[in-house]
Amino acid sequence: MVRTLGWLSAAALALGLVMAFGVAPREVSQGNVQRIMYVHPPLAWVAYLAFGVVALASIVYLVRRGPAADRLAHASAEVGVVFTGLAIATGSIWGKPTWGTWWTWDARLTSVAILFVMYLGYLLLRGTIEDRERAARYCAVLGIVAALDMPLVHFSVSWWRTLHQPPSLMKPGGFSGSAAILWPLLVNLAAFTVLYAYLVAKRVRLLRAEAEALA
Amino acid sequence: MPDHWSFVAAAYGLTALVLGIYWRRLVSKEKEVNTLLKKTRTASSVAERSQNPSRTGHPRPEPVPRPPLQQ
Repeated sequence: MVRTLGWLSAAALALGLVMAFGVAPREVSQGNVQRIMYVHPPLAWVAYLAFGVVALASIVYLVRRGPAADRLAHASAEVGVVFTGLAIATGSIWGKPTWGTWWTWDARLTSVAILFVMYLGYLLLRGTIEDRERAARYCAVLGIVAALDMPLVHFSVSWWRTLHQPPSLMKPGGFSGSAAILWPLLVNLAAFTVLYAYLVAKRVRLLRAEAEALA
Repeated sequence: MPDHWSFVAAAYGLTALVLGIYWRRLVSKEKEVNTLLKKTRTASSVAERSQNPSRTGHPRPEPVPRPPLQQ
């Protein structure tokens, strides 16, 4: 199943690239640099998804104390940190030619940076506590608390005046751009979601094998 | 507005590079853990077999030293 997910994500990412560079038109006001949109929002979406899964799996772990839920939270947090880091980096690369700066301390960028640091702390906490059961318990609490930052990240562009643009897809009324831009974006969102599922499944399998080897 | 293709290449290139490195790390770690698991399983099955009594019920013969080679 993991192997199938891997091939599926490779095919979906290849299709996403074709859509981003072959199908999507050159945007009128930003030019071709707007094509970063087909990678930056999908990375940010997967980060939301990953940390949402961490919060849910952490709640399940605290209620049932099953190691499978803890492994899922751990794997999803790790993949989420990778995707958040990439979302920040690609956003910064997009910001330089369009805003004239790599970084600014506006509400969206700052709240995402806080989210990134909190889940980085989550992974460090796992590494520092030797007792696995205690590490799982503490991380489950941190995983739930850190997820509270996600609504702040998402609505920061609506609640405060920010340099970052408001959401394009996840807003009341839906996407207002043309279908030629919407479809490549949706294909890339799906491709990155499948890639997330593949990486998490692979990481969970590795965590299970590690636990077996240590037992 | 100019196209800034170098920024587009940097964004896609960085994403591909980081995800590729992460994937390679998972693959190599998985291989490492699987090798360790195989070794552990082999060692435990050998230990288990040496502790079990003979299936025929006869006691295992004591190992005898090999007689010296003769011409």
